[in-house]
Amino acid sequence: MGNGKKIPLKEGLWSTQSEDGTPQLIGSKCEVCGEHFFPKKEKGWCIYCQNRSLSDVTLSREGKIASFSVVMQQPGGGFYKGPVPFSYGCVDLPEGIRIETLFSTDEFSELEVGESAELVIEKIYADDEGNEVVTFQFKPIKN
Amino acid sequence: MKPISEMREVVVSGIGLTKWGFYPDQEWYDFGSEAIFKVLEDAEMEWKDIQAAFCGSVYQGTGSGHQAIKEIGLTGIPVVNVENACSSGSSAFRLAYQTVASELYDVVLALGMEKMPRGPIPSTAFRPWELASGFNVQMANYANEAVEYMEKTGATVEDFSRVTIKNRKNGALNPYARYQKAVTMEEVMGSRMVATPLRLFHCCPLADGAGAVILCSHDRVKSRKRTVTVAASVLTSGVYGEQKLGGGTVLSLKNPAPIGIAELSAKEAYEIAGYGAEGIDVVQVYDTMAPSELWDIENLGFCKTGEAPVLLKEGVFDIDGRIPVNTDGGLMSRGHPLGATGIAQICEIVSQLRGEAGARQVKGAKIGLTHAMGAGPNSSVTILKV
Repeated sequence: MGNGKKIPLKEGLWSTQSEDGTPQLIGSKCEVCGEHFFPKKEKGWCIYCQNRSLSDVTLSREGKIASFSVVMQQPGGGFYKGPVPFSYGCVDLPEGIRIETLFSTDEFSELEVGESAELVIEKIYADDEGNEVVTFQFKPIKN
Repeated sequence: MKPISEMREVVVSGIGLTKWGFYPDQEWYDFGSEAIFKVLEDAEMEWKDIQAAFCGSVYQGTGSGHQAIKEIGLTGIPVVNVENACSSGSSAFRLAYQTVASELYDVVLALGMEKMPRGPIPSTAFRPWELASGFNVQMANYANEAVEYMEKTGATVEDFSRVTIKNRKNGALNPYARYQKAVTMEEVMGSRMVATPLRLFHCCPLADGAGAVILCSHDRVKSRKRTVTVAASVLTSGVYGEQKLGGGTVLSLKNPAPIGIAELSAKEAYEIAGYGAEGIDVVQVYDTMAPSELWDIENLGFCKTGEAPVLLKEGVFDIDGRIPVNTDGGLMSRGHPLGATGIAQICEIVSQLRGEAGARQVKGAKIGLTHAMGAGPNSSVTILKV
């Protein structure tokens, strides 16, 4: 118990290969129409212009909060194993892509539409073996 | 596609609803078969008159319609089950309509039924990592869209509460609704927070129940009730770039959809029917969450973006208002058995157009519209007329 390994919720959502080791989301960019997608599309197919024209790109770590909701009850179906209440919503990145994301906050009152938030990789829950299951989240940037 | 003018006119010759609520000791086939008995009685038909059946449900598993029809009689007719999220009932209706309009069959049943799981709906229309991230909380998905709607229009949480208040007032007049009791602003604003900024009374309740309609050609009508015909039945399933978090899609910032699915399905329906929103006398929209009624009314073309909260406050959407909306109490009062909701909306419009809606009757209603959204995403618009 408790070997403390960090396990990503899903492989391939983010990378820590940047020069300073900070995480970046991995998306796709269309070489034909310029549309961005997140997560990256494994089939390389642009669902906007409908060409096989996507390549992987890393996305900006900072964006603006477009919307959020603080969820006060357990989601249905038993798929989500993180804490409740929790918050999720949308963040718009400067390259022109919207990300649906969990928010990491000390206080939910930090969340405000139009304010900046940055990418962090944080625990969502601990699994039965004591590993930390981590995922990408956006954290409001305090001024 | 063949233009509707070249297709046969289709009559909604029977409607049947069960009383919606929670029935722990019954299954969906119990409600479904009860709705079939009721629709046959209303249409003054026998089961042997039915030539095909389309059955909408979401959570009932394999052969769900067959399970209900087994209780009535296996007569060798084709039974097709339709799962299209919250648009399942209206999609079953549309398929039934098409087979009669195209003269494949003359008398067809459309059934919607559901025994709902308890608690928040376990929508699975998402990828596994999205489910594990908790993104399937439909109340929160609507809450996110409500936050953006508030930013864009200046609408307030009190505006959302007024939707609940209107619909619960109407529901008090509907003997088939789960909730038949009006609520006050204090009760709505005092209900527990579910997903900020939305509270429990901004969410439609769930319910078990079923509804059925019989569609047929004019020459097969048996009852002498006022003849209601289908002016349009449209389904639109997703357009690129539109945000529907409940259907797992986010807005494309570079290539937003020029027209959303609700607007698109309404536009197509108006073109087919030959008149626009201004010609509609009574409307059933998709108030799964209170704010969604407001943007639904706007997207369907009944007013401009941001105007619905003002018109609601002025009473325009009341039963005696200029554009009566959700006269039977909507999802807020009926409750929401996913597969049955689209059929119940159609049943209410038929009651209104026949002049049989009793205390809920909209005077002189001649044309009515229903709109059912669904995860997927789906948007389905039906226009009926007398």
